[in-house]
Amino acid sequence: MEKNQMVLEIPYGTRDFLPKEAAAKRLVEQKLAGLFAAWGYEEVVTPTVEYLDTLTMGNGRALEPHMFKLFDRGNRTLALHHEMTTPIARLAASRLKEAAMPLKLSYISSVFRYEQTQTGRQCEFYQAGVELMGQAAATADAEVLALAMEGLQTAGLKEFSLCLGQVEFVAGIMEQNGLSEEMQENLKSAMERHDIVGLEELVDSLKLQKSAADGLKEIPLLHGDEAVLQRAYAMALNERSRRALDNLSEIYRLLKSYGLVSHVTFDLGMIRDFNYYTGMVFEAYTPGLGFPLCGGGRYDHMLSDFGMACPATGFAVGIERVLLAMERQKLKEPTAAKDIYLGYAPQNMEEAIQKAMELRRQGKVVELALAAQSEAEAETAQREKGYDRLEYLA
Amino acid sequence: MNAENMEYLTIALPKGKLFKLSSELFGKIGFTAEGLTEKSRKLVITNEEKKLRFIITKTADVPTYVEYGAADIGIIGKDVLMESGKDVYELLDMGFGKCHLMMAVPKAQKRAKLTDYAHTRVATKFPHIAERFFNAQGMQMEYIKLNGSIELGPIVGLSESIVDIVETGTTLKENDLEEIAYIMDATARLISNRVSFKMKFERIHGMVKALRAVMEQEANA
Repeated sequence: MEKNQMVLEIPYGTRDFLPKEAAAKRLVEQKLAGLFAAWGYEEVVTPTVEYLDTLTMGNGRALEPHMFKLFDRGNRTLALHHEMTTPIARLAASRLKEAAMPLKLSYISSVFRYEQTQTGRQCEFYQAGVELMGQAAATADAEVLALAMEGLQTAGLKEFSLCLGQVEFVAGIMEQNGLSEEMQENLKSAMERHDIVGLEELVDSLKLQKSAADGLKEIPLLHGDEAVLQRAYAMALNERSRRALDNLSEIYRLLKSYGLVSHVTFDLGMIRDFNYYTGMVFEAYTPGLGFPLCGGGRYDHMLSDFGMACPATGFAVGIERVLLAMERQKLKEPTAAKDIYLGYAPQNMEEAIQKAMELRRQGKVVELALAAQSEAEAETAQREKGYDRLEYLA
Repeated sequence: MNAENMEYLTIALPKGKLFKLSSELFGKIGFTAEGLTEKSRKLVITNEEKKLRFIITKTADVPTYVEYGAADIGIIGKDVLMESGKDVYELLDMGFGKCHLMMAVPKAQKRAKLTDYAHTRVATKFPHIAERFFNAQGMQMEYIKLNGSIELGPIVGLSESIVDIVETGTTLKENDLEEIAYIMDATARLISNRVSFKMKFERIHGMVKALRAVMEQEANA
């Protein structure tokens, strides 16, 4: 390879957005930002690097191996933010303590995680999301879910399915069976790994009564429409699990008012990969994408870890995943407008500059030739650059 | 998984010994297609009436097809699944294809304890499973990845031991090898793509129930 042809590498798991890709990304972000604002969510920006201790406070150390770490001058460990919920909880609990509740915040930011990369799954990726703090009622969860679904629709997706679960339901069922802490962890871990065979083996090893054992095995299969809630109520024998189901029923009833239940499916065995969740949890899927494109839930204890007891709920959507899904579903990809290419003969340069300025003020996207061209040259340039039409000052 | 695939259920079957058993079992619940044989020249075999699509792939590739959603479900040995480390739903233990993973050494050079093999070479098709096993024993090993005839390793001096699957133990005996550590049992598993399991839940769950019923019936017969 010749030296001047060498392509310099970029680090593993990162990517460039070329003009077309960047335009598509920007458009989706703009649509989401507009929507969040319309729902009364105010944007915040937090630093890309924070202290490792801060970022791992709410979630324990489980994700630490996946974080990008570095040292500051005093040798304290820093990390690039790997999700946005923790930094925003930190911000709310420290800098926005006095703000009027409920607090409605939104963000659009890149986050960093060491991952085995796949298309749509990079080490640096972009997320847009909201956090709603200071309200423990189902109304807050319903609003967040409705906004998530509106967000996917606004971004341009038509077909998706939102799976809704409740971590307290799973916890309640385990509690009513008197399982040890260790066994609960093992069962949850099997569910998180999607290992239903492993779950069944673990449950069989417990020597529970048949009805109790069947109940535990049933958890990952509690999947479907409202009827699933009735099946779940039949299994729920304690206050904790029943309250979780009441909460889901209430959320579902509210989503009906939003007119958004057609995308909603119950999935009571859902375990999300962050363990800070304390209530409703959800993930959204779309055909053509082998992993969720959006997820979130309630996390009532995280802010108290930062010194401000305050319930909270929220979600994040993966921007690249939305773009990838749209591409795979052959939906019209968002593209930036390219209206006019403006070329001119040598004597008309001054006029062309004025014309370009005028057109731009009218809101047109205009590329002005930087040197005089013949009409044929200008036509070629217009075509190659993909402008809708040519204006030529002869 | 493509959008237009929402209609179809795509099933990945592995070539080799699991193929016959799994296609027979699927046949019993009516999941079959004309020309579904291992020797089929067609790579994708479709049953238009039932909206089923079968793909026949190399064993080790089944989890990959399923993780990426190119197939909604697949049949694969637990050993291959564990080794692949793919994030898929493991829905059902099919019961057949039973074998176990173990460590074996040449009889003549057997050492007193397992830990006496620390820092030696082990030939295996399953370096990830082997590494996890030895790490749990606090042993560091040198892993030599082979793709077949693992038993050859110690015979020709490539390694001190092997980690491999055993069904009957005949191959071990024929090569003067002795099992010294049991690692795990493995049977064929029904696996599903994460998103397919959510988006095609009714169909996939219905299929699991039907398979379970057939298997129970056979166990009781």
